[in-house]
Amino acid sequence: MEIRFDAAGVSFAGRVALSPLRLTLCERRIGVIGLNGSGKTTFAKLINGLVKPTSGHVTVDGLDTVSDADAVLGKVGFVFQNPQNQLIMPGVAEDLAFGLSGRGLSKAEIAARVEAMLASLGIADLAARRVHELSGGETQLVAMASVLVTGAEILILDEPTNQLDLKNRRQVVDAVAQLPQCVITVAHDLDLLADYDRVLVFDGGHLVQDGAPADSIARYREIAAC
Amino acid sequence: MLTSLHVEGDSLFHRLTTRVKLAILLIASILAFLTQSPVLLGLGLLVAGAFYFTLGLTVREGLRRLRPVLVTIALLAAVNLIVQPPLDVLVAVLRILALVLLAATVTATTTISAFMEEITRLLLPVERLGLVRAADVALALGLVLRFVPDIFNRYSEIREAHLARGLKPKWKTLVGPLIILTLKDADAIATAIDARGLRRGKRG
Amino acid sequence: MTTRDIVLVALFTAIIIVLGLIPPITLGFIPVPITAQSMGVMLAGCIIGAKRGAASYALLVLMVAIGLPVLAGGKGGLAILAGPTAGYIFGWIVGAFVTGLIAERIVGPATGEAKQFAGFFIASVVGGIGVVYGFGIPWLSYVTGTPFGAALAGNLAFIPGDLVKAAIATLAARAVLAGYPLLPRSA
Repeated sequence: MEIRFDAAGVSFAGRVALSPLRLTLCERRIGVIGLNGSGKTTFAKLINGLVKPTSGHVTVDGLDTVSDADAVLGKVGFVFQNPQNQLIMPGVAEDLAFGLSGRGLSKAEIAARVEAMLASLGIADLAARRVHELSGGETQLVAMASVLVTGAEILILDEPTNQLDLKNRRQVVDAVAQLPQCVITVAHDLDLLADYDRVLVFDGGHLVQDGAPADSIARYREIAAC
Repeated sequence: MLTSLHVEGDSLFHRLTTRVKLAILLIASILAFLTQSPVLLGLGLLVAGAFYFTLGLTVREGLRRLRPVLVTIALLAAVNLIVQPPLDVLVAVLRILALVLLAATVTATTTISAFMEEITRLLLPVERLGLVRAADVALALGLVLRFVPDIFNRYSEIREAHLARGLKPKWKTLVGPLIILTLKDADAIATAIDARGLRRGKRG
Repeated sequence: MTTRDIVLVALFTAIIIVLGLIPPITLGFIPVPITAQSMGVMLAGCIIGAKRGAASYALLVLMVAIGLPVLAGGKGGLAILAGPTAGYIFGWIVGAFVTGLIAERIVGPATGEAKQFAGFFIASVVGGIGVVYGFGIPWLSYVTGTPFGAALAGNLAFIPGDLVKAAIATLAARAVLAGYPLLPRSA
């Protein structure tokens, strides 16, 4: 897995959301932190092509997020800050199955994949539940499952523990720790990133720190203090 | 909320395919309007009633489901008796009752997914013309079922917010906020659908 | 249709269904209790426009047809579409389209406030009342044998309530236009 930013930047109407960036990511657990409006979410959305660079290129394993948009979307899953908007079918298993429809799989195959996916995240018991009845942590986990079931190799989580109570938070943290996929987490919840491989800090649209969690978190605290 | 009107069972109509059932309903409604014979229509009503009341519903539940329609029919018949010959009124009532019972039989013996499969097939020719994509219809239907409970909760919250501020909830002040708050989610939901690649090859 | 269009259509259908769950209200000067659901025709046309508004109602009718109790009072199923009031239900689809067509013609972002109110009200009355009754009454008259004049007279009782709905729909459509405009522009 290799994500490459090749002088990729984003500006809208003269305002720089993210100044051009040259960088290669290949770690298994990557954290992204920064104040509100620092450019961290733009950075994350560039990776799966939800935001297109206005200069330069972003590639994932050699696939360009603009010219190979569909292939990149298939490779990189994104779980949004409000994952309840991401679940679009009434039932949990139904929602996962819908993501697999239209791929020439038989009903039995789809059902088997859905079941295996839910089991791997430890939420097999949610299969028959209605989406609108899920707790915050359950919603987060089901949204992750809905993205991973289609075969995503990289998972981007935007504030995955936002508004979760401690029990729900632990459930999500444990599930993420088990994942074999690469995970890029955008977070205000700094404890979440303590054992990550690499943490990037954004400020005012610039990457200002890139390194081990402890150093990056310390830098972020400095920025937040002034 | 929003549970289907389908009833489990093994009656004749349960075993017919959706397409055959819909064809029967269509043909029956054409035939019913071609005849003026109270005897034929009465027979039709008996047959439709026999199907409806033997598919596994209790008579009481069967009638409860049809109450709004039956009340309308009765009201109109009463009005018609004043201005029309009784035989004409009888013919109209027999015809509409027979069709309503037959239609209710099809509804009760067909699951949502069976209907959706048939609709997807019926939409294929339309899809080839490029008018509508069957998969989009399935997506839209799923979205509706998914979001009705959320929107209803939001309605309750807006209503409670009125009460908490000492305001009397009125349509005038409920409907606008309900619609704005709901439709504001549209962008986020659409982005999520595209991000999940659920409409491959067609996005915008 | 774009993904966003499909989502808007589906969310609006969901809103219409929720309007059907709100208990009917009785206004002092109107003999029949009025339900919020048929106001959806006016709202759909004025807020998301002709094409998407009509699609919302087509989706609603599809849900009725496949046996979901989505109409006010938990009604649904093919029996409704074979019954005496089916004309109104199919009329909703065309009514939402016509409402939208008129609203799109009259109301734009630069339109003055008074003209916006007037445009939405006219669109709601023509599409949401005129067109819907234009389908509903002849059908009712045909399938039940009720003389057209009698059917028309019977519907007059609902007109005051419908005008109240058109006024509320106008206010709501104008609020949405100011807060989150979605109405397509048309020449």
